[in-house]
Amino acid sequence: MTETTEDQSAEVVLRLTDVVKTFPGVRALDGVQLEVRAGEVHCLLGQNGAGKSTLIKVLAGVHRPDEGQIEWLGQDFAPANPQAAMKAGIATIYQELDLVEDLSVSENAFLGHEPRAFGFVRRGFMARHTREILGKLGHAEIPPSRLVRSLPAAGKQVVSMARALSHDARLIIMDEPSAVLAHDEVANLFRIIRGLTAQGIAVIYISHRLEEIREIGDRVTVLKDGRTTAANLPARSTPTRDLVSRMTGRTIEYVFPEPVPAVSGAEELLRVEGLTRSGEFADVSLTVHSGEIVGIAGLVGSGRSELLETIFGARRSEAGTVRMAGKVLRPGSVSAAVRAGLGMAPEERKSQALLLGEPIYRNVTLSTFSEYARAGFTNAGREIDEANRIADQLDLRPRDVRRAVRTLSGGNQQKVVVGRWLLGDTRLLLLDEPTRGVDVGARAELYQVIRDLAAQGVGVLLVSSEVPEVLGLADRVLVMREGRMVHEAPAGQIDEDTVLDLVMAGSLQVEEVTI
Amino acid sequence: MKHAPDLSRRRMLLGGAALGAGALLTACTSNEPDEPSGGGAQTVAAGSNGNAAPGEKVTIGFSAPAADHGWIAAITKNAKAQAGTYSDVEFKTVEAGGDAAAQRAALQTLIAQKPSIIVLLPHDGKELNAFGLEAMEAGIPVVNLDRAFPDPLAYRLQIKGDNYGMGVSAAHYIIEQMKAKNVASPVIGEIAGMDELELTQERSKGFTDTLTQAGFKVANRRAARFTADTGQQEAASLLQALPKMDALWNHDDDQGIGVLAAITQANRSEFIMVGGAGSLKAIQDIQADKSVLKATVTYSPSMASSAISLARLIAQNKGMSDLVELQVPKEIILASETITKENASNYLKLGF
Amino acid sequence: MTAQTAPAPVKEPEHSAPEKRSWWRDDASESMRRNLGLVGVLIALIVVGIITKPDLYSDGAWVRSNIFTILELASVIGVVTVGMTFVIIGGGIDLSVGAIIALAGVWSTTLATQDLGPGGMIFCALAVGIGVGVVNGILISYGRLVAFIATLAMLVAARGLAAQLSDKQTQVSNSDFINGLAANDFLGVPVLVYILAAVVAAGWVLLNRTTFGRRTVAVGGNPEAARLAGINVKRHTLLLYALSGLCCGIAAIMLTSQANSAQAAMANLYELDAIAAAIIGGTLLSGGRGTIIGSLLGVLVFSTITNLFAINNLSTEVQNMVKGGIIVAAVLVQQVQFKSLSQFFAKNNKITTS
Repeated sequence: MTETTEDQSAEVVLRLTDVVKTFPGVRALDGVQLEVRAGEVHCLLGQNGAGKSTLIKVLAGVHRPDEGQIEWLGQDFAPANPQAAMKAGIATIYQELDLVEDLSVSENAFLGHEPRAFGFVRRGFMARHTREILGKLGHAEIPPSRLVRSLPAAGKQVVSMARALSHDARLIIMDEPSAVLAHDEVANLFRIIRGLTAQGIAVIYISHRLEEIREIGDRVTVLKDGRTTAANLPARSTPTRDLVSRMTGRTIEYVFPEPVPAVSGAEELLRVEGLTRSGEFADVSLTVHSGEIVGIAGLVGSGRSELLETIFGARRSEAGTVRMAGKVLRPGSVSAAVRAGLGMAPEERKSQALLLGEPIYRNVTLSTFSEYARAGFTNAGREIDEANRIADQLDLRPRDVRRAVRTLSGGNQQKVVVGRWLLGDTRLLLLDEPTRGVDVGARAELYQVIRDLAAQGVGVLLVSSEVPEVLGLADRVLVMREGRMVHEAPAGQIDEDTVLDLVMAGSLQVEEVTI
Repeated sequence: MKHAPDLSRRRMLLGGAALGAGALLTACTSNEPDEPSGGGAQTVAAGSNGNAAPGEKVTIGFSAPAADHGWIAAITKNAKAQAGTYSDVEFKTVEAGGDAAAQRAALQTLIAQKPSIIVLLPHDGKELNAFGLEAMEAGIPVVNLDRAFPDPLAYRLQIKGDNYGMGVSAAHYIIEQMKAKNVASPVIGEIAGMDELELTQERSKGFTDTLTQAGFKVANRRAARFTADTGQQEAASLLQALPKMDALWNHDDDQGIGVLAAITQANRSEFIMVGGAGSLKAIQDIQADKSVLKATVTYSPSMASSAISLARLIAQNKGMSDLVELQVPKEIILASETITKENASNYLKLGF
Repeated sequence: MTAQTAPAPVKEPEHSAPEKRSWWRDDASESMRRNLGLVGVLIALIVVGIITKPDLYSDGAWVRSNIFTILELASVIGVVTVGMTFVIIGGGIDLSVGAIIALAGVWSTTLATQDLGPGGMIFCALAVGIGVGVVNGILISYGRLVAFIATLAMLVAARGLAAQLSDKQTQVSNSDFINGLAANDFLGVPVLVYILAAVVAAGWVLLNRTTFGRRTVAVGGNPEAARLAGINVKRHTLLLYALSGLCCGIAAIMLTSQANSAQAAMANLYELDAIAAAIIGGTLLSGGRGTIIGSLLGVLVFSTITNLFAINNLSTEVQNMVKGGIIVAAVLVQQVQFKSLSQFFAKNNKITTS
């Protein structure tokens, strides 16, 4: 409590009032309030899709808000671009560090604002300054001339911070900085953050790990569906249940189709046993039955996408087996998986699934066109007929299957990808984030499509970072954390809070320890 | 499972076919003629005077660029063959690689072997001038073959062809033929070699200079790249550009194979053609007199043979027996001779 | 105005979209439009020829023979470009085509091969072409070499082997059949033009009407998507280079026939000509898009320029500068088209950006 009163006296550097940012079809920020004081670590908490990334980008000058006010150091703040935000003293350290691997530490630290004299870069000055900053960060041992490529992830993060400080940043935004770090490196990160705040620099800290927030944070703001649901909660003393409850119970109610009661004794389609890829996931076992939807909940980096790709043969497993209808699949062979009746809608629709410039029908028939061919000659008429059939079934809009897929909305593109597997003899569908970038209306349609498929006897293995989606759609829920399956339960017997808690590294136990 | 044996049998058949094809292909790499054909392509100077008698043992170092076409290949071959005729000559050759720098490096290793004399066809006379100076200073005489060093101190003997003279000879022959046929203003075509080379420019200059004196001019000139396929392409274009032609000079007999092919393909025969360099095939064609090719002007790789025999004399401190002087002269420029049907038989042994 | 707009029925935008599409938004029409542009360039070049050489163009027989000269000049490069177009659409590049032609040409004109007769020579050329192509393909798809590097290495190695086999000599072809391919006509049209037409037609059918062509577009357009759709990307990549090798084998026979000979230095820089022709024909260097007709037109534009410069007695240097300019201009025009197109979509289909 004493800390909170100290905070009260500190100067407010950043204040957001009713900030709104709309993208076509999505209201990403819908009235955000945020107040950050000098020298504090302000944590942002929220589920995936709650608007954290958009908020960061607004502050970093990538997006401009549609409505609302941003006050920075007592003045209206509307950065035209990321450089302007940097100059104003707001630095952002993204999850994927944006460093140039083949430049030195000092060159990276001063990238874009190198000290110059007569058109020449003042290398000596730059090196001296970098050394000074690294010293401030407690990492004087990193030589400024070292190539960034040769540094470990933690070192790279330090360089990112050095870059922020080279701009005289007064606010540093860190987006899940601990995600790339090992355990002991996190402690070091916290030491650096404490050093920064001691100099009066404010930090906005984003993390899914509640125990970190409790250790390093001063105050917490919780976002849900683009709105601030709680502001300035004390980071250490707010009960976990309060935090979690403010993140969950989303206001946008997705329309989930009625689950069909599972047929007892349905055929087991997929059996995964002890599947392992080092560094990604270990010893994963699961089963999917005919007509069953199994949902995997897990954070980005929990190994869920890698797991799906390994089951599909797009990555080669190091240990364990994948059986489809009793037959072991050859590891690392997509064609074997497809022949056995597996289909997959990958996470990155555009880069992993679609030929954007090609017509819709050719995308729909991408894995089946050889089946319609005679003596190697494609049968365009048949392909268009089949694609039309799928388009009717999935209510694809626009309906003209000769249009380029590029012109479709995200939801309709996803229908094309799913539709592709409806054409073949697909008996098990792997769906990785099927509703990412899909607007609300199209989501409901996709859910119905998935449910219909299951009703026809297709097994579905679904991965999503949106817990309500997993709970609303799946018959059975698996929770994955840091490459391991940590929990399994029928959908009706687990709630959002519990799943979120499991996903976020068991913070309920942590709370009990602190109390 | 039922398909598995079929598949493997098909694979085996395919594999067998591939192996068979491979064996057949390997057999196809041979270039040995089935029956011995009339004489090798090398030219060797027959020794008929006292200089041919074995003398003091000498080591001749030799370097020429990696051959990319017939003429250079003939140079190396001729040099080797000529050296082989002398029992008192040890012949050391280094491949000069792709450019002047590579040749310089190769020559350094040659110097280390302490030859009595070096015969050298440089990539570029200017670029290897310094090497010539260095070797001469070290007491190793240098015989420059065809591509002159600018500095007279860089060589002991320079033996080269006459590019300008080639153009002159070709023009003379054409002028003579046109006058004989009473063609007042003939349409003359020219297929040059690689245009970026100085020697091509010299050849063309000799050609046009001489034609101008006679009041003739070149109607169309295309530059090929000393290869048969480019010769064919440029000739096809030239023939299309000049629907009626009286005479054609092609700089190089190697690319002339393609030029003649283009002429056959276009069914043209209303003109006479003069070649250049003097390849064996061209000389044979001239002798047979069945194509438009009536003459060729020499730029013979036989100069390599002469260079080796003169290098031996220099190293043995002898002179040329037909000359009064006791030493080999410093510079020899071969005259570009005109080979026609009448004298072709004399030149067959020089063709490459 | 208000009276008109008021009763207008409220349409769902999705349903009205197909009707609203103008002809040029269609992807097929887009490449058709580009090809029409190239035909326009061809016509312009011929018009320049007519203006500069009216004496020649007034002779009907000469015009006819000139068209065949241009086609014959285009025939060898044209065949190579068909193979190259497949490789580039499939997301690769083949820098070794010229070297493969030289090797296949030299191999098929060794004395030992010529003893086997024209059949043996043709077999040799095709087998060598396919063989080298397969080696390229294995290096690239299974050896995971970058296509640029693997085929660059092959360029050097194949020319080296060709020089070794031929002992750096020009090997004259003594086969009347082979030499006759370039010299003879059939029904008034040169045989080489038939070969070019056959290869182009086969290439068109292969690209547009077969599963092989469909896989090529998929593999080049989005290799990851193709792989996850169950297409064997590696095997298909290998086949693409083998196809390019086969085209080089055919081209080697044609070029040997034209020049009545083969040598290690033949088909010099054909790789650049073929790539340039494919690019101005609208083939995307990054893969996934391209047409055989466009590539053929690209080759014809180049050979028509060569012909135009030859009949006007202009030097090769100027010709090369003009060729370079045309490549840049063609690519610039395509970029502008593509940009305006994507801007159009961005404006009209806001929903896609969500």
